[in-house]
Amino acid sequence: MGIILSLAAVILLFSAGTLITILIEPMLSTTDEEGPASNSPKNNIYPVHPDSWLYNAAPAVALASMAAASVVIPIDKSLAGADIGIGLFYFIVIIDYMVLAVALGGWGSNVPESIESCYRIIAQLVAYVVPLGLAVIGPIMMAKSMSTQNIISSQSSLWYIVSQPLGFALYIITGLMQVYRAPFLEPFSNILNNGIISTYGGWRGKLWRISLSGILFIVAAMGAVLFLGGWSGPLLPGFVWMAIKTFAVLILMKWIGQRMKLLSTARMLELSWKILIPAGLLNVLIVGGLILMGVGGK
Amino acid sequence: MILTWYSVTGLIILAAFGFILLIYAFSRKQKEWILNSSKWNNFRFSFITFALIFLSFDMEMIFMYPWAVVFADIGMKAFLDMLVFIAILSSGIAYSWGMGGLNWE
Amino acid sequence: MNLGEAAQIFAFGVFAFISIAGALGMTTTMSMFRSGIFLMASFIGVAGLFILLMADLLGMLQIMMYIGGMLVMILFMVLFSNDPGGDMMASMKMPFLERFFSSGLLPQKKIHRDSHSHHNSRNNNNQADKDEGMNMGMDMSMFTSLKPYAAWIGLTVTIVFVLLFLLFPDWPVKNFIPDQDSSHRIGMLLMGKYMMAFEGAGLMILLGIYGAIYLARPGKHPDSKDRNDPSSINEEPPQAAEDPIEPFYNINLKELYEKSEDEK
Repeated sequence: MGIILSLAAVILLFSAGTLITILIEPMLSTTDEEGPASNSPKNNIYPVHPDSWLYNAAPAVALASMAAASVVIPIDKSLAGADIGIGLFYFIVIIDYMVLAVALGGWGSNVPESIESCYRIIAQLVAYVVPLGLAVIGPIMMAKSMSTQNIISSQSSLWYIVSQPLGFALYIITGLMQVYRAPFLEPFSNILNNGIISTYGGWRGKLWRISLSGILFIVAAMGAVLFLGGWSGPLLPGFVWMAIKTFAVLILMKWIGQRMKLLSTARMLELSWKILIPAGLLNVLIVGGLILMGVGGK
Repeated sequence: MILTWYSVTGLIILAAFGFILLIYAFSRKQKEWILNSSKWNNFRFSFITFALIFLSFDMEMIFMYPWAVVFADIGMKAFLDMLVFIAILSSGIAYSWGMGGLNWE
Repeated sequence: MNLGEAAQIFAFGVFAFISIAGALGMTTTMSMFRSGIFLMASFIGVAGLFILLMADLLGMLQIMMYIGGMLVMILFMVLFSNDPGGDMMASMKMPFLERFFSSGLLPQKKIHRDSHSHHNSRNNNNQADKDEGMNMGMDMSMFTSLKPYAAWIGLTVTIVFVLLFLLFPDWPVKNFIPDQDSSHRIGMLLMGKYMMAFEGAGLMILLGIYGAIYLARPGKHPDSKDRNDPSSINEEPPQAAEDPIEPFYNINLKELYEKSEDEK
């Protein structure tokens, strides 16, 4: 019975969050772009010379990775999909499969803009993985565990956003790289004719819309878990706090992202390797020093 | 315990694939075609050095995850060990920055 | 055999099948990209076997390394190969396994047919494509003269292993369940017993970075002409044959190209 309850919780979390994100995201956009998958063609397009295994598998892999990633996000003290012992690491690995899904979609459709978009998407993977790992190592060090429930319960004295602000900033920036929103949306922008989405029409485009909005919600939820203390809070029940914090992180990500001008892929790779990775390494050393001095942790 | 967790994960992945198969089964097959020739041959990418250095740093991240879990229990010794490791890899980044490797083509 | 054990045996069968099928697909498909993806699938099968043995951190590390590594490796393969998508090789005569793993690479519909026909063919149009595509006339499947030797060696090794398995079935099995908190154990081992290996791995990674920077330095030879950036303007039209009649206009395309570059 516990498994059925946790499965139901996961499905509920995923669907509700995705739908709410799809609804509120146009309200949050000050510029013209509404998210990477909003402009899919309305008619049922199919390329004439695709790689049909890869082209058809891409939305399936995207949706499966979204669903699997939402297993580790806890909604309440005893309500999570599965409190995997290495939950945070598992989450990072599964979100990488979203990149695989868009790369498969880009290569599979055999249209010039799609293939170029595939290369830029893999460049974005190269840019975000190492800074993201360095940003989340901070909470792992302070909580002494990779499980999300342990991370939340060890923030009962002090939230990690207070003790690791550099880690939080790094998480926000690499989170934007993961979800292909401004300022890192070149693979899906007008330059490349909307990237891979222009070759997926009709209901396939709607599937991409669901996946790409869901990933924003899930990355924001994990940010709330890691740095803002998840479901812990004084008066309201756990899932209300979780919803408030998730949407706070989501609005912060969109707001910060839209203040900056769009970066091309070349600038983004330089930003990642010249600024974010040294900052990440510095963050690891700072958090190590803080722990040795006795700040933070249980 | 471990197997329960991962069986939940496996079930959810299978459910997602099943959902997609259901949608494929009930979708319209009438299509319009995007007409173009095969373009797989035509492109090249310019971030070669970034990709090669990324592979090395991926290996570094593998070592940092288990270290981070036990750091608070061991204390200063773990901090010094990781300091040496980070210094080794930072010299790698500094070398590639200085030799002009971190440029887009 | 209760439900847990039956589920474990079933899961073992599924992951073993994925590993072997992925490796088979990797070697027999004609598309470079699919080859990389099949290798990734094979390693996901192996990671599943790790998880069944309760080494979940190792399984997840395996998956993480291979998603990053495979995507980069696919990029390099696509860069350096003639036929990355497999569509040129897919229209040739091939044995059954290679044809199965290369299915789905050919055009779905003839371009010059009018679109009012309701003929939605999803199969390989091998015969019809041979008229349009490459018509080599000979069997281009991957055949080397060493194939019979390889087959005999493979068969011998398989028979030896199966016989060993059947004749010596008393494998020593430890009778406890491993520690569920594998990341803690691995961390302690890395900081204690395997410290030199840890730092030595750091030094080897540094050597890898040096090698990468050295290999990717600007080369002495220019790029080949059949790979173009999407930002390049239209290629020059093919050279006309030797024409005795003079043209009455003289346009130099190279000058036009350079002028428009200067205007940008």
